[in-house]
Amino acid sequence: MSPGRTSAFFERLAQREYDPMLRNAVGTARFEITDKDSTERWLVTIDKGAISVSRRNARAETIVRGDRKTFDKAAAGRLNVMAAVLRGEIVISGDPRFLVQLQRLIPRPSGGP
Amino acid sequence: MSDGLVQILDGNTFVVSDSNGDIEASPTDATGLFTYDTRFLSKWVLTINGERLNALSVDDLQYFETRFFLVPGTGTVYIDAKLSVIRRRAVGNGFHEELTILNHENEPVELTVRLDAASDFADLFEVKDALAKKGRYSAQVDKRKLVLSYDRSTYGRSTAISASEKAQIDETGLTFKITVPGHGTWSTTLDVSIARLMVGQAPGAPEAPQHAQRRMRRDLDRWLDGAPKLQCDWDALRATYHRSLVDLAALRFSPPIAGGRSLPAAGLPWFMAMFGRDSILTSLQALPFAPELAATTLRALGDWQGVGIDDFRDEDPGRILHEMRYGELTAFEERPHSPYYGSADATPLYVVLLDEYELWTGDRAIVRELEMEARAALDWIDQYADLQHNGYISYQRRNEDTGLENQCWKDSWDSISFHDGRLPGFPRATCELQGYAYDAKLRGARLARLAWKDEELATRLEREAADLKRRFNRDFWVEDGQYFALALDPHGAQVDSLTSNNGHLLWSGIVDKSKAKAVARHLLGPRLFSGWGVRTLAEGEGRYNPIGYHVGTVWPFDNSFIAWGLRRYGFKEEAAAVAAGILEAAEFFDGRLPEAFGGYERGETRYPVQYPTACSPQAWSTGAPLLLLRTMLGLEPEGEHLIVDPALPDTIGHLELLDIPGRWGRIDAFGRGRVDVGRQRTRRR
Repeated sequence: MSPGRTSAFFERLAQREYDPMLRNAVGTARFEITDKDSTERWLVTIDKGAISVSRRNARAETIVRGDRKTFDKAAAGRLNVMAAVLRGEIVISGDPRFLVQLQRLIPRPSGGP
Repeated sequence: MSDGLVQILDGNTFVVSDSNGDIEASPTDATGLFTYDTRFLSKWVLTINGERLNALSVDDLQYFETRFFLVPGTGTVYIDAKLSVIRRRAVGNGFHEELTILNHENEPVELTVRLDAASDFADLFEVKDALAKKGRYSAQVDKRKLVLSYDRSTYGRSTAISASEKAQIDETGLTFKITVPGHGTWSTTLDVSIARLMVGQAPGAPEAPQHAQRRMRRDLDRWLDGAPKLQCDWDALRATYHRSLVDLAALRFSPPIAGGRSLPAAGLPWFMAMFGRDSILTSLQALPFAPELAATTLRALGDWQGVGIDDFRDEDPGRILHEMRYGELTAFEERPHSPYYGSADATPLYVVLLDEYELWTGDRAIVRELEMEARAALDWIDQYADLQHNGYISYQRRNEDTGLENQCWKDSWDSISFHDGRLPGFPRATCELQGYAYDAKLRGARLARLAWKDEELATRLEREAADLKRRFNRDFWVEDGQYFALALDPHGAQVDSLTSNNGHLLWSGIVDKSKAKAVARHLLGPRLFSGWGVRTLAEGEGRYNPIGYHVGTVWPFDNSFIAWGLRRYGFKEEAAAVAAGILEAAEFFDGRLPEAFGGYERGETRYPVQYPTACSPQAWSTGAPLLLLRTMLGLEPEGEHLIVDPALPDTIGHLELLDIPGRWGRIDAFGRGRVDVGRQRTRRR
């Protein structure tokens, strides 16, 4: 598998270690990126701003699922996550406040959709 | 809302029907069952033997529950009822209805009871603008329920309809063939539930309707118990106060991100959504009564604070959102509300609310918790809002298509105009934005010292505030008229009409002491003060229209902040006159102040004329009587104490507000009416 945009996004996130924008956030989310016949999983844990990222398939109270095309768009700053959730392109379950806090990490487009 | 419509609500789910309990929505009216900005039921019509029913009475039991008493036959004066029908409806996940038919004859009757049902799954924006749908409708019938659906690629929404009694179900409704014994009754429950909202949302077992009603009743009791008690000899004020508390409870809205806590939504029916400005101003109004609303507002808006540049959504780093929507148009990015950030005042007001909340509650932890958000909001004022690089906040939308032209509270297209009626170009720097920025900087400085231990920031903010005040009093002051211009146009020229915005300037504290008297005189003068309240735009201005949305009507919320501003500068009697006018107007609306009412001279109409399409209830109108109580009693937190300095209109004999919550625990405030408001009213001639 080629390291696509999405994987690169999570790898960059792992190197960040701490983000003050998330210092009020506590939680664990599992991102499930689906391809035709496989699912790539990333586990992101935030503890008051401290970020840890792994590929472990562990339990998480919050799940974010979508196909690779959608996640690649988000990683490139070409997708508004909230709108994608409303459309049903990204499926979420778990702690909604934590998800709102996480979406602050997604790059923004500088022009529009 | 038009007359004759009945509405019940819970959070952001609401039902609007006619007085029979029927729903027959047209593409452009807001009747139906709505949740998350989508209409889940647009038709719900009850017939018995093919005949519509006739309403005898409607009981609004609670804001979430109504009972309709009906008899068969419509349009006749003479009613010989052999049957009566009771529909008792409560909002929950959708709504729950108990339908009961009573036979008053000795003989049994055979009846065909029919409920026609349909849903257009319209986005509230479509209802407002009458747009066409792009997806596909379907209906599924099984033995126990009817499921109505709408699908557009991955987007899907469904409504499920079921009954406790045996029914024949088809794609357009439910039919009951029944026999009611002589002097007997027949009843069924009907459930209309939101079966599919956001994909992946854990469906879970929906709360049983009885549980939901018990929960809501308990919650309302707790809410009312927690609020201060008002005692006074003016019955109408007591009723208005009670109405305000109940409506505010109804307008509380738990966005999915607030973890079950709630903040005020803007108003029914168009604005049951998270709004930055409305939530902040309503939380400010309600601080002495329900401080917990402010905490939720601050957290929820903080979580959604802008982090990057997005032109479609007018988002900048640090900007507080304007409006969040959940409907189809937002989902497909035909509208920018996911969320939309086009508001120039919510960001400075965010800092104002954080500071005012701490002053009342002493909750320093939240000031530390939201330090980053407050700092980012303060940075936004100088780094992103100063579009002209002239030291003033101004606004110009980057989303030219669906963004907002006017990003201040007077957000209609013609609200900002010169004396001669011309509209200025963009960017526009309206005056109250500068007042809010001034206040935000001073309050930010206080918070920086108190909780962030950042003396350097505090000093810088104070220096900037002082400089802003000096420049503002020079650049915005209309020397000829002795008031502040509404705005500066893109060339720095004064947009010179006289407006209610002057009152907000007093509230912010940006007005030089030497100019305050002239400003107060205008606010209570014949061009602005109608006798009921201060008009948005003064009589004699080019675009003045007593029933123009922001160009002549009186807005109760606007007046409550004007009264606060008058008090801030020591104009106690003038503040009391404004409070008296608005609270007297409330009597004409059974204690529920509409969003706006006509700017006609009080002596001309004798009663306040409601603005035709005003939202009601509306959160910041609901909050207005609360803030007016605060200003009349002169309640100001001072260190660990609450200062009480009453200046009540003489139409009130005595007034007591008991158990005011705050950092002092609970405190009582008393006052007697001594301000001759009649004299205030005649003096202005």
